[in-house]
Amino acid sequence: MTASSVSSRKVLSKIATNRLQKELTEWQINPPSGFTHKVTDNLQRWVIEVNGAQGTIYANEKYQLQVDFPENYPMEAPQVIFLPPAPLHPHIYSNGHICLDILYDSWSPAMTVGSICISILSMLSSSTVKERPEDNDRYVKNCRNGRSPKETRWWFHDDKV
Amino acid sequence: MMLLKLVQFTYPNSVYHFVSVDSLSLTNPKFNFNSIHFTFKVRARESSSPRDGGSNDAGDFECNICFELAEDPIVTLCGHLFCWPCLYKWLHIHSHSHECPVCKALIQEEKLIPLYGRGKTQTDPRSKPIPDLEIPHRPAGQRPATAPAPDTNNFLNFGFGGFAPMASARFGNFAVSSGIGGLFPSLLDMNVHGFHNPLYGPRHAYGPRFSSRFHGGHHGHEIFHSRRGHQENNLLKTFLLMFAIFLVLVMIL
Ligand SMILES: [Zn+2]
Ligand SMILES: [Zn+2]
Repeated sequence: MTASSVSSRKVLSKIATNRLQKELTEWQINPPSGFTHKVTDNLQRWVIEVNGAQGTIYANEKYQLQVDFPENYPMEAPQVIFLPPAPLHPHIYSNGHICLDILYDSWSPAMTVGSICISILSMLSSSTVKERPEDNDRYVKNCRNGRSPKETRWWFHDDKV
Repeated sequence: MMLLKLVQFTYPNSVYHFVSVDSLSLTNPKFNFNSIHFTFKVRARESSSPRDGGSNDAGDFECNICFELAEDPIVTLCGHLFCWPCLYKWLHIHSHSHECPVCKALIQEEKLIPLYGRGKTQTDPRSKPIPDLEIPHRPAGQRPATAPAPDTNNFLNFGFGGFAPMASARFGNFAVSSGIGGLFPSLLDMNVHGFHNPLYGPRHAYGPRFSSRFHGGHHGHEIFHSRRGHQENNLLKTFLLMFAIFLVLVMIL
């Protein structure tokens, strides 16, 4: 996966480590429904399985999210992408990048991995068509050298889904 | 299940925001954001209830940023608790916005309320340096006057800077001459804050005060008044003058 290689590989700060440990503990006690954290010993990269919600066009489908935490999480948002194959969705590019404001400009340090997951599942569930964003090919071509979605200047492109 | 979609709207620090699909009031994205936030809160409650047999008291005092027991705790007017270093770093280094990280309410730093727990009031937060970063002093508390005491000789109790041990100091005849100077800023603080409308005006209106705001309560507040509260100030000055005369009369008697 090229996009992840660019994400900051600096070691987590002490604050980030403590917070992630707390989030992980909380997740293990009560994970958000529809999500499974794939257990590894890497606190800085979480791989999370997403189950499409029943009654939506993604029902019974499984996808994988990769969450990479920056050194000074939670002051900076984690990098969140879908591992291939990314779900067909008007806000999800074929390289797994997700056009979701809370992952970029609207990030707040009070958000958690759990709240991100819920937002992503909600975004999936709201879709009525399985299609790529209009500018998918252009965008993916631009990201070819492994650019992180956090370096993208995200622009809203469709409010009908 | 709440359905979301992305809608563009002009928001100072972002291009797009959530809007829930079930409430299609696109004209009011803020409302919709709050409703989404509410979903998170409900989930957080659900997740905290099973452990500890349903009680999660410690969580009530955890910083909303680092999730640890808040250090140099400070609470916003919207009621959200943070460590002062955590909130400072978020507001000034990482976001440059003035929004509560939890609910996006506007944060005015002079209206943050520090929490002074038992036995901590003598500790100057500046004596605990934060590595790599100069974090200014936590904003001081704003202490209204105490209720009038029945004893006429001790009818005045004013705090200086919000630390409890000082608050019980009494103004006898001897102390007043030096006490009046310190008395007035305190009065100004508490009264003007009472008169002011909440500052939900343009953000840049209070930007320039940043540099002075952190160096302790009174200095910053005075700058604030001279810029914003002329009318209230005149009223107050009259009131204070009358009050001072009254005070002197009482002392003479
Ligand atoms: Zn904190
Ligand atoms: Zn708040």
